Amino acid sequence: MDEPRRTGLAAWLPDGVSIIAMSLMSGGAIQQNWKMDVLVDGTPEAWVLRTDSTATLTHSRPREEEFALLTAAHAAGVTVPQPLMLCTDKSVIGTVFFIMRRVEGIAAAHRIVRSETLGGGRVALVQKLAAELARIHAINTPLPFLKPHPDQPPGHRFVAEMRGHLDHGRRPRPMLEWGLRHLERHAAPRGEIVLCHNDFRTGNYMVDEHGITGVLDWEFSGWGDPHEDLGWLCARCWRFGSDQEVGGVGPRAVLYAAYEQASGRSVNDALVRYWEIAATIRWAVIAISQAERHISGTERSLELALTGHIVPELELDVMRATT
Amino acid sequence: MSAMELPEAADLLAIARTTLLDEIIPALTGDARFKALMVANAMAIAGRAAQTDPIDDIPNASLICANVRAGKLDDDQDLANKLLAHAEARCRISSRGKK
Repeated sequence: MDEPRRTGLAAWLPDGVSIIAMSLMSGGAIQQNWKMDVLVDGTPEAWVLRTDSTATLTHSRPREEEFALLTAAHAAGVTVPQPLMLCTDKSVIGTVFFIMRRVEGIAAAHRIVRSETLGGGRVALVQKLAAELARIHAINTPLPFLKPHPDQPPGHRFVAEMRGHLDHGRRPRPMLEWGLRHLERHAAPRGEIVLCHNDFRTGNYMVDEHGITGVLDWEFSGWGDPHEDLGWLCARCWRFGSDQEVGGVGPRAVLYAAYEQASGRSVNDALVRYWEIAATIRWAVIAISQAERHISGTERSLELALTGHIVPELELDVMRATT
Repeated sequence: MSAMELPEAADLLAIARTTLLDEIIPALTGDARFKALMVANAMAIAGRAAQTDPIDDIPNASLICANVRAGKLDDDQDLANKLLAHAEARCRISSRGKK
């Protein structure tokens, strides 16, 4: 962060808070996370400042809404970094930002899926993921900025959204269209609608040796079928090369049993698998739009360019699951 | 030396990538290591593309998309097979041999 922005930030922070050190954390093609070490009335605290990177995806939630979701999740007992303060005045650092407490742990998916002990071990970690999801799905705080779920099957809402994105794409995507038509034909009736995290997968939660230390990345949350989150967590594209079906971490049966126990809701296996196909398509649509930022020159980036090369594998997963 | 004796594009990429993986990346840590691994991945994809005949786009893809969406091709197994084969061909270049 350059000197004018840092000076602006220091002036905006409450009295008694002084910044000792700030550095950009790695990861995050969409958002920037700044590690902040501060003194609050002389006591050291570890914070994270979260803001937008230079180019923001249109279907990413504004930071002030992410802050409200984090606040609701924290109040509902979901394991999240405690949200501390929000700044919507863009004159301070140039973008909207919020500050949360920094949680310690590991988020790197390739490390988590290879470890037998992180999060308390594979079975325990899956059980904890199920419990977090159940708590998320029980959040009932009013969140007026969330669009109410339309009066249609969640699968049809999903298909309409994805078709809208594909219509703005650079090229036709027959495999994704094929998959969306499959989802349209096989959509389940509208059932219970809950708050879904919508990006609940390995890589978006932090763990230590004992358990989950924080569920991160709330910018896609919205109303939907609880199976949407279960499918996103289980989708093959989020297993990071591991054979374990739940986020590359552990067995599917453990997830279902633990989620049923924690939520009181029964899990429909066919519906989870339906939402795994949806997850694959959604990740493909996001990957296409990230690659487009590179291709269009909006943000030249090796990471974004490589993300585009994930798409064929996702398209293959879609075709294999629907033929 | 004739032009024929110069290493070809794919060979240059391969030896550059081997050098990166064997001699440079082991000395790196943190963000630099992560980025160098991405560079190696990009070079692998470019190398496979250089050794593969170009994959043509699916003919009439826009029309196919419109007809799929309209439900006119729901049980068209030939189309499904064609799309599957096309995805497999693209994967052989883009994915790290995982398929």
